[in-house]
Amino acid sequence: MNNKIKEYRARHDLTQDDLAKKVNVRRETIVFLEKNKYNPSLKLAHDIARVFGVAIEEIFIFDTE
Amino acid sequence: MKRSLIIFLVAAMVLATTALWFFTSTPKLNFMDNLHFFIIILIVGFAVFVGYKRLTNARRGEPTEDELSKKVLQKTAAWSYYISLYLWVGVIFINDRVEIDTEVLIGSGILAMALVFAICWLVFNFRGIRNE
Repeated sequence: MNNKIKEYRARHDLTQDDLAKKVNVRRETIVFLEKNKYNPSLKLAHDIARVFGVAIEEIFIFDTE
Repeated sequence: MKRSLIIFLVAAMVLATTALWFFTSTPKLNFMDNLHFFIIILIVGFAVFVGYKRLTNARRGEPTEDELSKKVLQKTAAWSYYISLYLWVGVIFINDRVEIDTEVLIGSGILAMALVFAICWLVFNFRGIRNE
């Protein structure tokens, strides 16, 4: 699974710290998400999508291969 | 915050008892004693590192635990348990061939288990948990 968190974060002028506080996780978790080293839970994916005001599938791209 | 303080307190207690053992036991420590001492210092260092990380997270206004840290802890527990099973098989294998005191053997096994846990945590914490 890939994601566009970094791209959306830049668009909304948010730092990793800001996003972490908004979705109530540690900054390290956002770092791992952006590096595709961690797949978030449905709740966290939903929270992140809600911060950016878009649907989950616009940020998280499911690789079918 | 409370748990971070408990971690520091336990680390301080372990250090204090290790220092007591180091200065009051046998006048000259053998290789196994030195190895135990070194592993205890490593584990205390690991505990201080974890406590410090939790404290800095709390100071930044972030949660000390979140879903990633909980998953890392779960995976660490699972892997260290699995590795520890083989470790004890190894300990029994060594015990059959080399004569070592039972206390030393059990103490070494417990320290090795703690070391395995610390190493597993460091690996999963810095490598991340992907596609699971």
